[in-house]
Amino acid sequence: MAGKSVLKRIDWLTVFIYLALLTIGWVNIYSSTFTDENLSIFDFSTLHGKQLFFIGVTFGAIILVLALEASFYERFSSVLYIIAMVLLLGLYPFGKTIAGATSWYDLGFFNLQPSELAKVATALALAKYLSDIQTDIKRRKDQLYAFLVLLIPVILIVPQPDPGSALVFFAMVFVIFREGLPLYYLGFAFLAVLVFITTLMFGTIWVSIFLALFIVLFLLLKRKTFKVPVFPMISIAVIAILFSLSVNFVFNNVFEQRHRDRFSLWLRLEKDPVKLEKIRKTIGYNTYQSEKAIESGGFFGKGFLEGTRTKGDFVPEQETDYIFSTVGEEWGFVGTTTVVLLFTLMLLRLVYLAERQKNPFSRMYGYGVISILFIHYFINIGMVIGILPTIGIPLPFFSYGGSGLLFFTILLFIFLKLDSNRLKEGI
Amino acid sequence: MAASDKKILTRLYVVAGGLFLFACVVVFKLVSIQMVNGEKYRDLAEKRTTKMFTIAPNRGNLISDDGSLLATSVSRYTIRFDAVTVKKEDFQENIKPLSAKLSELLGKPTSHYQQILRKAKANKNRYTLIARNLDYSDYMEVKKFPLFNKGPYKGGLIVEQKTVREHPLGKIAERSVGYENVDENGYYSGVGLERAFGEYLRGIEGKRLKQKIAKGQWKPIGWDNIVEPKDGYDLISTIDINIQDIAHHALLGQLEKYKADHGSVIVMERETGEVKAISNLGITKEGKYYERLNYAIGESHEPGSTFKLMNLVAALEDKIIDTSSVKDTGKGSWKIYRHRVKDTKHGGHGKISMAKAFEVSSNVAFAQMVHEGYKEKPSRYVNRLMSMNLGKEIGLPIKGEGKPLIRYPGDKGWSGLSLAQMAYGYEVSMTPLQTLTFYNAIANDGVMVKPRMIKEVKEWNKTIQKFDKEIINPSVCSRETAKQVQQLLKNVVEKKHGTGHRMYSPNFSMAGKTGTAQKNYQDKTSDKFGYISTFAGYFPADEPKYSCIVVIHEPDKSVGYYGADVSGPVFKSIAQKVYATSPLVDEVDMFQAKYAGLDNAYQEYFAEAQKKHSKVPNVKGMSGMDAVSILENLGLQVEIKGNGKVKKQSVSHGTDIKKSKKIVLELS
Repeated sequence: MAGKSVLKRIDWLTVFIYLALLTIGWVNIYSSTFTDENLSIFDFSTLHGKQLFFIGVTFGAIILVLALEASFYERFSSVLYIIAMVLLLGLYPFGKTIAGATSWYDLGFFNLQPSELAKVATALALAKYLSDIQTDIKRRKDQLYAFLVLLIPVILIVPQPDPGSALVFFAMVFVIFREGLPLYYLGFAFLAVLVFITTLMFGTIWVSIFLALFIVLFLLLKRKTFKVPVFPMISIAVIAILFSLSVNFVFNNVFEQRHRDRFSLWLRLEKDPVKLEKIRKTIGYNTYQSEKAIESGGFFGKGFLEGTRTKGDFVPEQETDYIFSTVGEEWGFVGTTTVVLLFTLMLLRLVYLAERQKNPFSRMYGYGVISILFIHYFINIGMVIGILPTIGIPLPFFSYGGSGLLFFTILLFIFLKLDSNRLKEGI
Repeated sequence: MAASDKKILTRLYVVAGGLFLFACVVVFKLVSIQMVNGEKYRDLAEKRTTKMFTIAPNRGNLISDDGSLLATSVSRYTIRFDAVTVKKEDFQENIKPLSAKLSELLGKPTSHYQQILRKAKANKNRYTLIARNLDYSDYMEVKKFPLFNKGPYKGGLIVEQKTVREHPLGKIAERSVGYENVDENGYYSGVGLERAFGEYLRGIEGKRLKQKIAKGQWKPIGWDNIVEPKDGYDLISTIDINIQDIAHHALLGQLEKYKADHGSVIVMERETGEVKAISNLGITKEGKYYERLNYAIGESHEPGSTFKLMNLVAALEDKIIDTSSVKDTGKGSWKIYRHRVKDTKHGGHGKISMAKAFEVSSNVAFAQMVHEGYKEKPSRYVNRLMSMNLGKEIGLPIKGEGKPLIRYPGDKGWSGLSLAQMAYGYEVSMTPLQTLTFYNAIANDGVMVKPRMIKEVKEWNKTIQKFDKEIINPSVCSRETAKQVQQLLKNVVEKKHGTGHRMYSPNFSMAGKTGTAQKNYQDKTSDKFGYISTFAGYFPADEPKYSCIVVIHEPDKSVGYYGADVSGPVFKSIAQKVYATSPLVDEVDMFQAKYAGLDNAYQEYFAEAQKKHSKVPNVKGMSGMDAVSILENLGLQVEIKGNGKVKKQSVSHGTDIKKSKKIVLELS
């Protein structure tokens, strides 16, 4: 009974985009892990074979997610959150270390990455907390608690170390923002990022001059129309300058050389072209290779299984974080644009779905889903095409990896289940 | 909810706008890298990922007249170790068995290899040398060793293959075989036959387009090579390994005996000009002799008395004298201007015929003959020599032929004394091969043939080019003159008074002329003053088959320096052995009788070779080649180290013979 109604009411457009991304993703994993040996696509000794198996498992999970009562997720969100946090904590004694990060549980055939589960659980818990009738996001205390929900997993994940995953949780600030967090928080955050970047690029002195100039101009132009909070503005400027100074300190004394190099590369801070090229080929090696692969694809790409750089394993980690470069090389501009459009379409569709929710919990969870998917999409593609520094997180539904695929799917389909249930809520 | 609907809607637009903006940024960046820069980078990528490879053709073999390999190309492998790519566990687990195996194959102790490997691991050395120049079978062994059998990445095995030129016969004729190198600009350099006939041996490089599929790995594109490589042709040399070996060892023995600086010997087939043996040995600082420079072809020097033949032929042709003309050599000293020409015989020869003067090599008689005969018109003399092709190079394909020197009257260095000096081989200069070519022409009744070292160019069994006999001058002198001097050359050895009589053997005949030239004679007390001892001639004396010249520079004066003493024995021993191995048809009857006179070495060889062996014979003291052929005929596998005579044999004599058992001979 429930299953039937779910099938009728589920948002098929999102499901369709999801399936399209999943298929394109697997085809590209196949290509980037394909060898000339004639192995069956079901051969589980190959990565694409394994991924196919994971897709099967994922489909099982979808059925389970849709079969459960919608209210289950709201009711058990706190429990799930606690389980996820315990699992994260349990990594320290029991975790398995892969590539230097202790982020996995070894379950034999399958390595479980609890941080992926934590994303789902945190999105649910945050929605639950914010939708609570007693929570008023205008209150400082409630803002603090909401932040705490996000901060706990971050604190547990950063030392694994997995800063990339930790960053994902910050994206959920966006949910709080949607629910009425005063805009100046965002303003501060934006200012902080701006000051950080400009300080690295131009130095503290120029930042100070720029800020002073900005305030003076603002005062001159806007003075007559409305009351200007002169004192707060100047204090903010002073804080910004102090922040700028601390950025210099942190950059030069706290960051390690490899971090500095990443920023040097991203913002082209290194002016010596020889040194820059060297950084490009060492620290920036992955990005350099992935850019080259995408570049070599041209408009129509080289064709399926024809990517020489993909075949030659030029791009490290290509089947996971750099899968987008395979798309670029083999399917060209047409392929990359299609993928970008599919993601954008899915996210816009999810925004639409979230806004039509009557239940605030569903809406807030929906924004949590959007935040998580967006930050992955944003950082991953940004990194692969070289407009963002290197931060290793996967491309949802695309990258190779069982945990990622499973929990991204669960994340999405819990929302689709909630959405399919929206009309019942009212009755 | 606290926020009003309108405010929420604004925020929503911000969100959607942000998403859209990001999509735009991504697409914009994609446009810039895939379409704007794309063209440029695609070309670059294409260039970096495909490359034209040249496929080295196999260099042709150099084969001796009798079918032995003189030079051939073989693959050699250098094994290195990448200590970084190997996992620690694998390394720990395998280091001991690997070292043990290496020690077994390469000889050094296990601990040595363990130390090398551990050091490499500690220093993170990615290119540690393990072994050089392994042959193919050893390389296949190494590939199967523990750890190395895991391949290049897990096992850290690095293999470098190179093709090297091997000389299966070792140092023999090494210099004449020579070598050829090519630099990065495609210019060839080298010496000897390898260089001279490089164009035939080299082959044509193939070309193949390959695509880079991983770091350092290239995959061929398409089915076919763009240009198929063509292997080099094989060269069939005129060198006869048996004669070469005889010549080499005979020369070596004599150089050692006289502690000479260097020497060379050439054996040439009289009729065809085919060089059957050419050996050049020079002393090293350690007092050992090696093929160093091609003296026989490259070194032009004052020939001394061997040049008397040329003078005699010239004078006979110009009818200036007759062989019966008598010259008064007095007490062995003749003053011309302020110079004194001396004979070596104390007290002089008195009045002698020109024939005898030649046989005893009287400097006085020859000086008188040339000086008096040509002083009115010295150019006639020089023109005559020139007409006998003496002033010209032979024009060998081998680079570095020494230039002969014969001055014209009026040339710088020509003086009133020149005629008298040239009469006994000074103020002229020739290489051993040039001298031999003339002696060969005399043996050939005046027909001068060009010396050749290559018979044929072959591609498998197909003949590409044949080098036939080339005649330089069909008649350097009249047949009568040739016949006359042939008799005199024969007398040099046969007659008791002949300068070569010490070489005389009743069992086989030889003809030739001795020469003992002084070298650096300007100051006879200096260290550099020395002698060049020569013997040039041919054998058998009647219907000669081979001509031969032996030149030994700077023998130890306290041991001896006369041509007949120093160079003669080399000539004799070559004649003796070659004679025995290539009997002339009409002398078959005499063949058996000749053994009596053969030297000990040959008797020893023959005796051993004739015996039916069931036990390993004693080959100590035999020449290497002899020992090898005896032992190989008995079915043993022979390996030789060094050259010269057998000093040690790894299986002692008297041991029962087992087929294909290995025996190592150390020569010295």
